[in-house]
Amino acid sequence: MKFESKAVLLVLGVAVFMALGTYFTMVVPLTDESLFTPTKDAKPYTAVELKGKEVYQREGCWYCHTQQVRNLLEETQRYGMGEEETFKRFGVRALIQAPPSQPGEYVYDKPHLLGTRRVGPDLARVGGKYDNTWQFNHLRDPRSTSPGSIMPSYTWLFDKNGLPTEEAIALIAYLQKLGTNIKWREERVEQVRRLQAKTSTQENHSLAELKENN
Amino acid sequence: MTTLHEDKTARWFLYFSVVFFLVTILIGLTMAIKFVFPDFLGGIAALGFGRIRVIHTNGVLFGWLLAANMGLAYYTVPRLAGTKLFSEKLGIATLGIWVFIILAAVITFASGDTQAREYLELNWWLDVLVTIAWVMFAVNIFGTIAKRKHEQMYVSLWYIMGTIFWTAILWIVGNLPVYSGVNDANVNWWFGHNAVGLIFTPMGVAMAYYFIPKATGNPLYSHKLSIIGFWTIAFLYIWNGAHHIIFGPIPTWLQTVAILFSVSLLIPVWTVIANFFGTLRGKWSQGNYIVKFLLAGTVFYLLTCFQGPMHSLRSVNQIVSKTDWIIGHAHMAVFGAFSFFAIAGIYFALPKILKRPMYSDKLGEWHFWLSFVGFLGFAISLWIGGFIQGLQWMNYTIAFLDTVKAMFPYYLIRMFSGLFMMTAQILFAYNVYKTVQVQDSQLQTALS
Repeated sequence: MKFESKAVLLVLGVAVFMALGTYFTMVVPLTDESLFTPTKDAKPYTAVELKGKEVYQREGCWYCHTQQVRNLLEETQRYGMGEEETFKRFGVRALIQAPPSQPGEYVYDKPHLLGTRRVGPDLARVGGKYDNTWQFNHLRDPRSTSPGSIMPSYTWLFDKNGLPTEEAIALIAYLQKLGTNIKWREERVEQVRRLQAKTSTQENHSLAELKENN
Repeated sequence: MTTLHEDKTARWFLYFSVVFFLVTILIGLTMAIKFVFPDFLGGIAALGFGRIRVIHTNGVLFGWLLAANMGLAYYTVPRLAGTKLFSEKLGIATLGIWVFIILAAVITFASGDTQAREYLELNWWLDVLVTIAWVMFAVNIFGTIAKRKHEQMYVSLWYIMGTIFWTAILWIVGNLPVYSGVNDANVNWWFGHNAVGLIFTPMGVAMAYYFIPKATGNPLYSHKLSIIGFWTIAFLYIWNGAHHIIFGPIPTWLQTVAILFSVSLLIPVWTVIANFFGTLRGKWSQGNYIVKFLLAGTVFYLLTCFQGPMHSLRSVNQIVSKTDWIIGHAHMAVFGAFSFFAIAGIYFALPKILKRPMYSDKLGEWHFWLSFVGFLGFAISLWIGGFIQGLQWMNYTIAFLDTVKAMFPYYLIRMFSGLFMMTAQILFAYNVYKTVQVQDSQLQTALS
């Protein structure tokens, strides 16, 4: 009996192979608890944030912006905080890396919006990076805040007077929520503060030792 | 003894696909212009980049390529089975639903109605309609195969039957509204990758297996190679989805499995390619535009399926993933390889269906060269630009905005290349129209 002359046999063989690969690469991850256990700080979306997520989906933001900081040094650096930013906001001078994205941050995402393409930057850690005024200006006229940007102007999310509509307000609420399922900004700044305090105490100690010895 | 084929379903599926190809490529060109002039057609929600991108991708995949391949299946399967199509009525009804789905998709997408999962964006009632249309297609094809005259089935039939099964499972399981978080992403790419690998690849390969021997007059090079190629693709492709999320928030073992299987894909691809080249032997220089499309399609298939496994390697993925490079890669698969196969199939099948030559062979040659040159300009500019972009992203001191500005010259070349690709498809549609129209007007003269 050859499959070339038995259509049923051919389809059966194809089905077995498909089931095999699907089981290992799809069903096994679906049963992996670590993939759907929320992170410590993870909170479900509020009604407004959820509405913002819908606007994000409707306008196809996810075609040009990914939401995943890949587990690579250059990405944790790029999407972290630079020295200027940490000094301005927290009074600490340090280069702070963003944590790479973790499965537990996404448990409330349905659908997921990991994305595949970065015409614009990744947004997984954008929450808290800019204030709302900047975000509204950027949304209405991207080139006013970011000269050289090729993002479309979302004028239809603003009224005649240039004020944000409910949809724009929801969208920005959603953006500000992104990346906050891990409280990395506060926690890492705190770590840096402690580290710097420790270093300066050590410096004082060695200075005192030096004086005593003299 | 020859069977008289009605070919009504095949013909109308092909006409629709050729017309819709123009629509999708026009949208593609609009997007390319928006990359250079971001305010082009600005301020109109329905024409926003994020709204029309989904019409372009879904339109090319389901409105043009799948519709064309279904039309070619309605043409080739009865011939390979040595019998008439199971039911032309069912075929025409399938076409009616398909056309409705595609037009409804354009409207719903433009109005922002989307499920926001790549290649699964259609809303639920359109998902259901696609399933119904696909079952009708399956009944027609399997019905024809069931009453075939020859017991032995040719390799094209294996691939078409496989595609019908794979597509059904992928579509239904992929669309279930039960996934969330990173598992949703994993399922999305299980579907997304296999939409290319187990829908468009096997359909394209099926057509190449049929039309390469037909257009060159050479017999199939090796039956054994076609068996190896078919069963290795059936086994290996389904494991690859996770290679779209390498370094991402999914388990490392899953990424590694996807990488191993991605590299293994060189086996089915090189087996099939060896078979195609073997069948094309001796016909390279004497080929008309049909053979040119088949030959170029084979070369692009080889190249795109060399890129794919290489992209999955972590060291390469780190650079090219998420960049414009990938856009060049995707277009080589869908445009350079599988659209070229489908175009060759249409150029071969249409004169047979209508029983008269194409209106103009010269236009066919122009169609090939404009598509070929346009595509090379499109892909090479994005490969160079995308690679530079990837390297720039590896240095966090280069502001993201500067890496966007650096793409300008490449986006400009891409836009003009898109213009070439568009012009080429206008010639194609015109050629098809004239071929059909001349026959119709002759019919009218005959009738009056």
